[in-house]
Amino acid sequence: MISQWILALALVLVGLYLLKARRSASQQAIRRLFIIVALAAGFFAVLFPNYTTIVASYLGIGRGADLLLYAFVVFALFYVVHQYRRQLWQEKVTTDLARALTLAQAELDDLKRSRRS
Amino acid sequence: MPKSAATARSRSLEQDAWVVVPIFNEAEVIGPVIADLTKHFAHVVCIDDGSSDNSAELARQAGARVLQHPLNLGQGAALQTGFDYVSRQPGATHVITFDADGQHLVSDALEMLELATRKRISVVFGSRFLDKRTKPGLKKRIVLKLAVLFTRVFTGLRLTDAHNGLRVLSMEALGFVRLEQNGMSHATEIVHQIAKSRLSWREYPVEVLYTEYSKRKGQSLWNSVNILIDLLVR
Repeated sequence: MISQWILALALVLVGLYLLKARRSASQQAIRRLFIIVALAAGFFAVLFPNYTTIVASYLGIGRGADLLLYAFVVFALFYVVHQYRRQLWQEKVTTDLARALTLAQAELDDLKRSRRS
Repeated sequence: MPKSAATARSRSLEQDAWVVVPIFNEAEVIGPVIADLTKHFAHVVCIDDGSSDNSAELARQAGARVLQHPLNLGQGAALQTGFDYVSRQPGATHVITFDADGQHLVSDALEMLELATRKRISVVFGSRFLDKRTKPGLKKRIVLKLAVLFTRVFTGLRLTDAHNGLRVLSMEALGFVRLEQNGMSHATEIVHQIAKSRLSWREYPVEVLYTEYSKRKGQSLWNSVNILIDLLVR
């Protein structure tokens, strides 16, 4: 079934994103395009609910509701992974900041100490 | 070499080596550990990783230079801050990492420093499994052996003890180390970076004292899983 291939591929991509994501302009652009496409598809699904079933059966899925559910699960997983990566990056920024502060304070203290002696 | 000359030389070793001790809420034990270090080493720098007790003050009283993180970042982050600080010190030749919980012997650190200097070895790792002095329990042994196995696969370096906090690094080796793992995974990360640098390294038998205190602070089996995931997802 074609839907199984698509879903499996989507999960592999989410896994790769977890391992390999970098903060690059291209990945940001892809994410944004993805959101635009998802919005457009959602809009279409709201206006023409029947078509979701037609697309679903074309992909080998029974009902349109199932198609939406699968798409939602993949999107949710991707979102979790993306937030996790953002958090890792935030932690790195916090660390660099805290370290810079610590070292600046140390340098100041050392300077004071060398003046005193 | 006459004995006095040897002593004089080892004195200068201890003048130019910097001991880095990360501390996080170690008030129970830190005083004597630092006092013991400052007896032998001219430069002992503690990185207080946002302790909520008076560890920093106690370390200062015992004679250490204390740097303070404004918040708790993790042992790996504290070590890296110490490394950055030492690399700015003129005349520094070696950096020694030493755990705050009193599980290492200062005499082991001195011997490792001596070996690194005499044989010009860039990195000396302490290992508790090279002699029979250390007696870890069965569970601890399993955790550590798993860590060793994993470190071998991940880094290609055939160490016998992957998570020993006692290490001596030359300033050259320090240039290859950049710890990004803030938590406990830095032990494997440091081995990985040394392996990539292709610098000379050696293991040296050390004793690890399992006190009630260090046992309480020790790592669990679950942490091996966390370390694995930390190193894969970066």
